[in-house]
Amino acid sequence: MQPSLILRSGRSAWKGPYFVAFSNLKQALEDNVPIRTNARACTILPNFVGVRFLVHNGKDYVPVAVTQDMIGHKLGEFAHTKKRFTYRATKNR
Amino acid sequence: MVHVLGVLLPDLQYARQALTTFYGIGNKTAHRLCARLQVHDRQKIRDLTPTQITELASFLASPSTASPLRRMPLASFKYKPPPVSTSIEDIRRRVLEDSVPGPPDTLKGLKIESEAKRVVKENIAHLRMIGSYVGKRHAMGLPVRGQNTQSNAKTARKLNRVTRFG
Repeated sequence: MQPSLILRSGRSAWKGPYFVAFSNLKQALEDNVPIRTNARACTILPNFVGVRFLVHNGKDYVPVAVTQDMIGHKLGEFAHTKKRFTYRATKNR
Repeated sequence: MVHVLGVLLPDLQYARQALTTFYGIGNKTAHRLCARLQVHDRQKIRDLTPTQITELASFLASPSTASPLRRMPLASFKYKPPPVSTSIEDIRRRVLEDSVPGPPDTLKGLKIESEAKRVVKENIAHLRMIGSYVGKRHAMGLPVRGQNTQSNAKTARKLNRVTRFG
């Protein structure tokens, strides 16, 4: 993890990154079962790499596969909450 | 008018201000740079000596390979200055002997102009590559930090690209 990411986040360095301890992390890595979570604010730690998540976006759970490059970012960054507007001629379709 | 690494520094500006013409140098870095080159606060670009200008150019060309900073320790109470008849070479040699390695150089990783722009581009490309929200907003040319987009958002439309600066 880049130390600068913590420093730039505005959070006190002594607290370390905010994260949620997933109890089923080890098992998920072995069985390749996605972890269903609402913790969008959870920082992606180095030991999350390779785990699949289902992150809540306010409506449903979006699959997120964690890679090496995502370390230091939050889970919520990869589950988009906004849908792009598309015009439909009639509402009842 | 002084050209340093292809950047025109205006003659009548204070050196500290004029240095911020470089992309990647702000007020703080300019202050540090001036301190390093022993340019005082009120010195204008036209008052810079040729040595200072060459020093500035050589430092900005490759900050990572610049000579490390040295620091003179404070003299003790018992210190007796060398006699006046000491030759200047002798004094210089003694200064080099007495000085100690300075604090870690904060300007070592300085990146300016095209190099700094490349870093910005790389960061955006990285965000786009991992598929984060910020990267997505850059690709769409929309504001990244939750600003309104019903009207305006003109700066974002101008700047937020995956390959920034054209």
